[in-house]
Amino acid sequence: VDYVLTVLLPQLLHGLVFGAALGLLALGLTVIFGLLGVMNFAHGELYMLGAYAGIVVIGVTHSFWVALIAAPILVGIVAAVTEVATLRPIYRREPLYGLILTFGLALVFREGARQIWGGDMRRILPPFTGSTPLLGMTYPNYRLFLLAASSVILLALWLFFTRTRAGIVVRAAVQDAEMLDGLGVDVRRVFTLTFAASGALAALAGLLLAPVFTVYPQMGVEMILLAFIVVILGGMGSMGGSVVAAFVIGVAQSLFSLWMNPQRVAIAIFGIMIVVLIVRPRGLFGREGVLE
Amino acid sequence: MRKMTWLLVLASVAAAGAGMTAPALSQSKVVKIGDLGSKVGVFEGYGKYQTMFMQMAVEELNAKGGVLGHKVEMISEDDETKPAPAVRKAEKLILQDDVKLLVGAVSSGATMAVMDVTKKHKTIHWNAVSCAEFMRTTKFHKYYFSNQPDSRMQANGLAKYIVDKMGKKVYIFYTDYAMGQSDGRQFKTALEKIGGEVVGVAGAPLDTKDFSPWFGAINQAQPDVLFLAFAGTDSLRLMTQLHSFGMTKKYKLAGIDCFLLQQDLPAIAEPMEGFVQLAHYSAYNADKQMAAFNERFKKKFGVDGNIMAGAYDGVLFWAAAVEKAKSFDADKVEAALEGMCLDNTHVGRQCIRKEDHQVIMDMHLYQVKGGKNLPIARLEGKDTIGEPMVGKDPVEGFTWEIKKK
Repeated sequence: VDYVLTVLLPQLLHGLVFGAALGLLALGLTVIFGLLGVMNFAHGELYMLGAYAGIVVIGVTHSFWVALIAAPILVGIVAAVTEVATLRPIYRREPLYGLILTFGLALVFREGARQIWGGDMRRILPPFTGSTPLLGMTYPNYRLFLLAASSVILLALWLFFTRTRAGIVVRAAVQDAEMLDGLGVDVRRVFTLTFAASGALAALAGLLLAPVFTVYPQMGVEMILLAFIVVILGGMGSMGGSVVAAFVIGVAQSLFSLWMNPQRVAIAIFGIMIVVLIVRPRGLFGREGVLE
Repeated sequence: MRKMTWLLVLASVAAAGAGMTAPALSQSKVVKIGDLGSKVGVFEGYGKYQTMFMQMAVEELNAKGGVLGHKVEMISEDDETKPAPAVRKAEKLILQDDVKLLVGAVSSGATMAVMDVTKKHKTIHWNAVSCAEFMRTTKFHKYYFSNQPDSRMQANGLAKYIVDKMGKKVYIFYTDYAMGQSDGRQFKTALEKIGGEVVGVAGAPLDTKDFSPWFGAINQAQPDVLFLAFAGTDSLRLMTQLHSFGMTKKYKLAGIDCFLLQQDLPAIAEPMEGFVQLAHYSAYNADKQMAAFNERFKKKFGVDGNIMAGAYDGVLFWAAAVEKAKSFDADKVEAALEGMCLDNTHVGRQCIRKEDHQVIMDMHLYQVKGGKNLPIARLEGKDTIGEPMVGKDPVEGFTWEIKKK
């Protein structure tokens, strides 16, 4: 019992906290994959911009909570402008164009952030500190908040996609944009708004995780690799799959690190991805034919 | 027209003459020394204080007429805490600026890389903070000197206190590059030799953002003491996170001398309470020499001194050796430095051991209380320095394997 409480349970909690935050990032990525047909390489940079936007807003308003609302909106606007100005003209071309374009955008955003804010690491202080004694262990309050907030957002998104007309339209666009266009929906607007929302979601994840991971221009690159794995494992384009896979990766990573150095865990996670790709290329919940 | 030509010829001769004599004059009066270290990033605190302590020494020397009649000029460079830029900047300092002394770097990885440069270009090299054990053993060369207690010295002095006073079961958590690996090797060896039990070891990369993935394994090992070999902002993050998971209260804490600078402590006083380390200096040591030195430093910069004060001594030792050798020639200065003792360093007397150019000095065990590093015991230099082991692996046959009891 002692082992479960002091060792296993905290690790499980770590995994859930990280998995929930990863889910926010991966969900946006998988929706964009459904729309564009390619991975958005700049997604990690939107996550990074969220943290920097948070620093700017906190600098002006001295409130983390205001930043939590304002930063995603700011990054959402950046994402919308980016979509209209750069992605829209190439939708009709091969997916390779989108891949190279988003790769370039990632470089522009990252180096832009370095130019504006410098390469130094910056800290965002958590809005509250302290720890809570929980079943015999101690757990930081902010991380508990992180788990609760991410879970609530994921639940809200699930309700949005299943219960609202707008959510159903986005899912329809992910599945078959041409058919949706034929039905009289303004698909271009759906694309722009979805891209903006996915950017805002990434920004929200960036700001929520900033007090734990600190803020620096490379932060998106380090996170996005894991998000890619989540999307591939969950099944490209499957929203539910991404969320499930995010929790699986988060918890697996956390539990593995009880028996091996967390540095090596990263290799193990890649190993899992390779095995899944060989055995079941469409991922856990992917549609047939996406990667086959 | 002819007049014009003559004027031109005269003017150009004058210009050429000025060009030839001007640098010759200034060079005969100025001698340059190099300050290489991390000025931004994870170890920036150490690099910035290195500059301040060297500046203090340079100004004191120049106020007394310089070195061998030359005014001392210091050139500072940032090595980004990485070996490759460190090598590039060291070459720039030596080949372009012609420095006669190079102090640095901060990170052990960078210092070891720079040693190849100072060896190749025969330049006196002083290290005041890197604590990997390899510099005075396998990497040693004759132009290299150090007054930083390396991993072996720290382990020799600290292990016994840990086993006697803090607990026998120790978990070693280190930063995974030259410095931390060396600290881990030395502490594991020293602890096991005197009957301590190492219940776990783990390394985390330099500049790790979130340490919590490692905490499960630490809790699983159930140690009495956590031995931490980290530095700079890594230490700050690690302590904040350990504290938020209740682990600073659960385990006794010990670590390396450069874990955090005195300046960082007040902000993180609660998590650091009780932390034990072995070091050569603290601004809160009542020792007369240290207090007087701190007074001078504080008067100049408005802040307390810290362990980077070793860089001050480096400049003084070099200046004394140059005066003794009556030359800036590296071979002559090196010969003068061997076995040299100085009484006016930041801690009083220091002597350079001939065999491995390591400075012998008395040190203290310190414990953090209320955000201050307070001395709890004094250790003699001869008891910590260990045998000279140039060219040998000081812990030959070492393994990271945990012996289960």
